[in-house]
This record gives sequence, structure tokens and C-alpha cells, in this order.
Amino acid sequence: MRSDIGGDVALALDGVSKHYSLSLQKEASDLKSMLLHLPRFLSNARRPFVALDNVSLRVRRGESLGIVGPNGSGKSTTLRIMAGITPPTSGKLTANGRVVGLLELGSGFHPQITGRENALLNAVLLGLTLAEAREVLPDIVEFSELGQFIDQPMRMYSSGMFFRLGFSVAVHVQPEILLIDEVLAVGDAQFQEKCMNHIHGLRSRGVTLVLVTHDMLSVPKFCDRAVLLEQGRITDEGTPQQVVHGYLARVEALLALRVEEQQQLKVAQAVAP
Amino acid sequence: MNRQARRAYDLLYLLTFRELKLRYQDTIFGYLWSLIRPLLQGAVLYVVLSKFIRIDVEDYGLVLLAALFPWTWFQTSLTLCVGSFTSNGALIKKVYFPRFVLPFSTVLNNGVQFALSIPVLIILLAISGYTPNWTWLVGIPYLIAVEAVLIMGIVLFIASLDVYFRDLEHLTDVFVGLIWFYLTPVIYPLSIVPDKYHDWILALNPMASLVEGWRDLFLQNQVPGLSMLPALAFAGGFAVLGSLSFRQMQGGFADAL
Repeated sequence: MRSDIGGDVALALDGVSKHYSLSLQKEASDLKSMLLHLPRFLSNARRPFVALDNVSLRVRRGESLGIVGPNGSGKSTTLRIMAGITPPTSGKLTANGRVVGLLELGSGFHPQITGRENALLNAVLLGLTLAEAREVLPDIVEFSELGQFIDQPMRMYSSGMFFRLGFSVAVHVQPEILLIDEVLAVGDAQFQEKCMNHIHGLRSRGVTLVLVTHDMLSVPKFCDRAVLLEQGRITDEGTPQQVVHGYLARVEALLALRVEEQQQLKVAQAVAP
Repeated sequence: MNRQARRAYDLLYLLTFRELKLRYQDTIFGYLWSLIRPLLQGAVLYVVLSKFIRIDVEDYGLVLLAALFPWTWFQTSLTLCVGSFTSNGALIKKVYFPRFVLPFSTVLNNGVQFALSIPVLIILLAISGYTPNWTWLVGIPYLIAVEAVLIMGIVLFIASLDVYFRDLEHLTDVFVGLIWFYLTPVIYPLSIVPDKYHDWILALNPMASLVEGWRDLFLQNQVPGLSMLPALAFAGGFAVLGSLSFRQMQGGFADAL
């Protein structure tokens, strides 16, 4: 999909909205409850939920964008739309380049087969052809530092080993645009350091990065720019420091407000007979 | 082949062989299990129908097996694939990849099992005096291709629909195993069915002309021609229906699962 957005833009969202209908189908998923709720079922009543509301966003080629915001603000939905996993309800997504979405490490790993076999399949799943995957497999194995465990069935793996292999595959699939959702902190301190260095390496090679995280320290470390999502809308945009500070200040203000409310409540209770 | 098609093909290959490997891993008899089940089923049906009920068909055992093996591919694929998308929800929600590889790899995996059972059938035929014939070289790949297209069309349709309508898993199980099986000339040849039902069975049931085609090939050395028309028509119809419905519905998979 190369189009009108211009050569220096890697990823563009234009007026993207995503609505989920929290339908009553769930409540009426069997015959009995369907009959019990027949009027509602027939009227097809749905509670609409707006996950993203008219979001427009441009990520320039080689840029690294951080997306922050509270839980349920639409960060992951944004990433899923960018990755092509789910289509937007309205609006348009344009991607110039190969997008690899890292929404979870080790998706599709099967416990009964070896780490090496899983790594190969996972690499193809994430975007390589089999020939390319075979080529990078030695690098993946080396990066994972799994030693002889690489040829053991993955049910033998500790969760740390599992994620190490997952991360190793993910960073070796040669994306042009890499989407990362909260998967940076894996393994021990030493392995984390190695992952961070690798991400920096990808950036210096011109890979476009979109990072969703709750770790406010990693945003200024990795990103050139950040946006704040709240209730499905972009409410702030700017340098990472600026956006993170603004966001944290608001969270603190909110917390202070809550504490104050609670104190007032206590006072009110104490006064009441 | 462009990159997307190449990757879909590679995924299909990797998943098919992963399933094969998983099936035989840590079992003593391994591949033999793929043969034991249909052979045992065939033996039981043979004894009951040929010896007890005394069905009057020449070489009944071979007539039975020539249809039972391809039928097993069909039935297993449908029952296993109807939940292909539903049971892989976690993966579909996290990674974007050509999702049709999920049911197709199961169809192919079971197709490999079927292909591996053909030599056994050929040996049994040869023992009874049906020597291998050059028409088999054309007929076997031809019939496999028709059956593969038919199965893939159907499973793409039912697996997509199952994401929104989970009853389909039970429906498929019941319909294919309890109804479709008996309405297809598997445990009986079409020739003993009264004439008035003939055309109905052939016209409405693609598997009828297909299994009869397999019989014609192995027992009469005939590559089925016009008689396969219903199977071909249904295969084409389901291929269109399957791909259209999949295209229509797959965008919503990640949200619905």
C-alpha cells in the first residue's frame, strides 16, 4: 500500500475509529437465555464501546514514537490496527514498509516441539519466508543464549527462557516498521541490557519504531516523540519528556484529588453521629 | 510467487509437518496408527455387513475400503477444521498472518495420512488380483485434487462461520458422522441402491460421486469422467463460497474471538 502519504511517512492513521459492540449475544449465547431475552435479542441491542475515536497520527520513516496512557485508553487497539490484526471501524491506515507487530512474545510456540523448530515457525509467522528464516536461525539461537536447551522441547523451558527465545525471534525478523507492546522487560538484567542495545541498533539502522509502554523511563530512552492517549483520543503530543511529565503530573493531581476526597469523607464520617 | 503467497505456502508446509510430527511423537506405533484406525473400522464393517447382514456385493471388503479411506480424509478434516479459527483465538489476536493456513494445514496433514494409506489399499487390491494399472497414475492425483478442493472450500466456510456461531462444531460433528456418512455410498456401493434414489444421492451429495469415482478407479481401472460432475460442481461452488465468506468474515476474527 504505497500511496499519497508521502515517502517519508512510514505509518499513517487518518481519522481512525474503532468501535466494539459489547453485544448482548454473549448473554444470549444459548437457547434458554436467548428465549428469556427474546425482545432484546431481536432488537439486537448492543452497548457500543468506542475504543478509538477519530485518531490521526503520522509516524515518519526512521522515527520512534512512544504511546502512553492509562489502561483501556486504546493503546493496544492502536497497535493492533497498525499491525493489521483488526480493521478500523472507520478511517484509514496506510503503511509504507513491512510491519512486524510484537504484541506478545512467543505467540504460537508449541510446548511439545523444540525451541529451534518453534523459532523457525515463529519467524515465518512474524513475517519472514522459510528461506529467510533458515538464514537467520543461527543468529536467533545465538542471541537467545539458550545453549543446549535450544534442542529441547519447550515444555522444559522456564518462563524466562521462553521469553528470551520469543524476543530473539522477534528482533531478527528484519522489520521496517516494528510495533512493540510492553514486551521489552524480559529475562535478567544482563539480557534486558542486550535487548535494549539491540533495539537501539535497529533504530540506528533506520527501523521505524512504535512503542506502547507503561514504563515511563523507557519512553524518553527510546523515543523521539510521544503521544498521550486517553479514552481513545490523543490528548497530548510532543517530546517524550514533555508528554510523560504532563501525563505523570495529571496522574498525580488525580491521586491527590482522590486522597483529598477520602479525607473529606473521613471528616464527614467523624462528624456524623 | 510474491512474498505473501510464498509465506502462506511456507506456513502451510511448516504447520502441516508440525501436526504430523506432534501426532506421532512419543507413540510406539507412530504412523501405523493412521492405518490401524481405518483398517480396524474396515474389518469390523466387513464382518458385520458381509458376514452377519450378508450384503451381496462382489469383493465387498475392497469395495468398502476403496471408499472408506477417502471418506475418512473428508470426515476427519471437517470435524477437526471447523474449530480451526475458534481454537486459535490467542494467536489470531496477537499476530497477523494469512489465517487460512490454520484449517488448510489440517486438511493437508490428513491428506498426507490418506495418501500414506493408498499403498496399503494397493497391496490389498493386488492380493485379490486387481493388479496396479496405468490409469491409477492419472486417477489418483486427479481424485485427490478434486477432493482437496472440495474439502478446503467446505472447511474455509464452516471454520469462518464457527467464529460467530459456535454451534457449528456440534452440528458438523453430528451431521457428518451420523447423517452424511450413511447417505454416502461408503459401506454400500451405489449400485445396490434402488434406482429411484440414485439421482438424488448423486445430485445432492458431492461425496457420493467422489467415492464412487475412487471405486471406479481402483476396481474398474476407469478414470471417472462425466460421472464426477456433481463432485466437480460442488468443489467449485464451495471453493467460491469458502473464499468469499472467509474474506468477508476474517477481518472480524480478532474482535470476535
